[in-house]
Amino acid sequence: MTFLFFAWPLLWLLSLALRTRREIFLGVSRFIPKAPTLENFAAILSSDKFAGYLWNALVLSSCSAIGCLIVALPAAYAFSRFPFRGKGPWMMVLLAFQMISPLVIMVPLYRYMAALHLTDSHFGATMVYIALAVPMVTWILKGSIDGIPKSLDEAALIDGCSHFAVFWRIILPLSAPGIASAFIISVIAGWSQFLVPFLLISKESLTPIGVGIFQYAGTQNDSSLQLLAAACLVSVVPAIIAFLTLQRLILGAMTEGAVKG
Amino acid sequence: MMDASIAAKSPRRLGRRTAGRHSPFPLPWLMPLILVLGVFYLYPLLDVFRFAFTNVSLLGRDEEYTLQTIVSTLSKPELLQILWVTFVFTASSVVAQQFFGLFIALIVLHGEKRRLFGTTIVRTTALVAWVVPGIAGGIIWKMLFNEAPFGGLNSLLRVIGVPAVQWLSDPHMVMWSVVISNVWRGTAFSMVVMYAASKAIDPVLYEAADVDGANPWQRLIYITLPQLRTAILVNMILITIQTLNTFDAIISLTGGGPGRATEVLSLYTFNVVFRNYDLAAGAVLSILMLAISLGLALVYARFLPKGEPS
Repeated sequence: MTFLFFAWPLLWLLSLALRTRREIFLGVSRFIPKAPTLENFAAILSSDKFAGYLWNALVLSSCSAIGCLIVALPAAYAFSRFPFRGKGPWMMVLLAFQMISPLVIMVPLYRYMAALHLTDSHFGATMVYIALAVPMVTWILKGSIDGIPKSLDEAALIDGCSHFAVFWRIILPLSAPGIASAFIISVIAGWSQFLVPFLLISKESLTPIGVGIFQYAGTQNDSSLQLLAAACLVSVVPAIIAFLTLQRLILGAMTEGAVKG
Repeated sequence: MMDASIAAKSPRRLGRRTAGRHSPFPLPWLMPLILVLGVFYLYPLLDVFRFAFTNVSLLGRDEEYTLQTIVSTLSKPELLQILWVTFVFTASSVVAQQFFGLFIALIVLHGEKRRLFGTTIVRTTALVAWVVPGIAGGIIWKMLFNEAPFGGLNSLLRVIGVPAVQWLSDPHMVMWSVVISNVWRGTAFSMVVMYAASKAIDPVLYEAADVDGANPWQRLIYITLPQLRTAILVNMILITIQTLNTFDAIISLTGGGPGRATEVLSLYTFNVVFRNYDLAAGAVLSILMLAISLGLALVYARFLPKGEPS
């Protein structure tokens, strides 16, 4: 029963995407299409528009994930290892950022970006993606750095390593699994971004898949459901594959770092 | 200087001092984080508060400071309905997600203990739904709720002989449709939290209960639920805020309609700012949204056990 609830929407999507136009109107009675076809996928993937959407989403989400790591890793190291006043409260403040709806900050950000001519640029959008994901990523990374025995870096410090050397030579390699899952989590988060690119990017050639599919859906009707289903599947599958391949890692990092908050 | 002489006298102090010499000023390490959050989060947030006291619009007319925006935005007659819709949507989604999340987590744990086949499949399908982008989730459910006889759910109902349902056009039904789609996407998060928390429960408690002859129901009521209390509350805070902020899944599923039946506060704010270009009114609504999240978080936090290490 539970399985059906979670799987049915995706199975239905797949079923629609494999149908010909005529079979759409047969509903569940033709759940497994008589003449399954990959034509819909071919139609979607061969249009320049969709290839562009996918590419833009990939660029935006991977650049922002890298940026996120660059910003969050040193901070996570400091939070995990340095004694300083008010550390606990600061971690909480960080989490509190997640309470602010992206919508709230997009209102003024839209104006700044317009004034700086950063609308219609991947750079502007990437910076906002980073800001939105970085609190969560810092928590996750702190959790995974906490798991590295402290004695290792203390020994290195006594041997005369600088903090940067410890960070670079010990912490980074040892927290590689945590870094990998934080990376994937922020790629997936970036992939599903809608609001930021919807507001900041109006050029179709720069639009990522989330906005692209929304606009595409607005132009479709019942008789082209099979195309919309294929497009939807194309937009969903990369995120699912990224997640499934690293499922164990991601869940581990989530439960260790973020969730235990 | 003085520190060094004290340090030389006491060995314990010496140890701390060595750590202190290396122990570094955290600010440079935190700087990138502070910069990014400051520029892209905090500064805009302060600006939102400023906007609320102006009549600023996206159309770029002259800005004036005034209290008029706050008064007129908060006294709009539709606001009450928007808040009610937001409340129904958030409350039912949160309750259902919490319930199903816990339920599935317990099933999965139980299944893992007995190595039942299918446990992993259930867990994985729930998690996959979670990765689906909000917009795509809305579009997928729109196809399922398609009210034509061939729609994903209606044709299923027809097979079992139930008449078709007006999933999206009936103003009473539509709220439940939106909640169902949101629960589909959001349950996995609660499941992960509940799963991790249940695994952390000391098995000795269950062994003791077995010795006392407790049945599964009693084990749930007297051990599992009390032990999960903190996790449940923290999870409630997180999913409440997530749900309050949801709007991409709704915009692509119903667009807020029919009428205003599913226009939640975040979608309303979006429309006010980016369809009516009324930045100032949007700022007031944003602050209202923030205040609601903060208020709810504080209410939940009151129920957290005191002295819990955070």
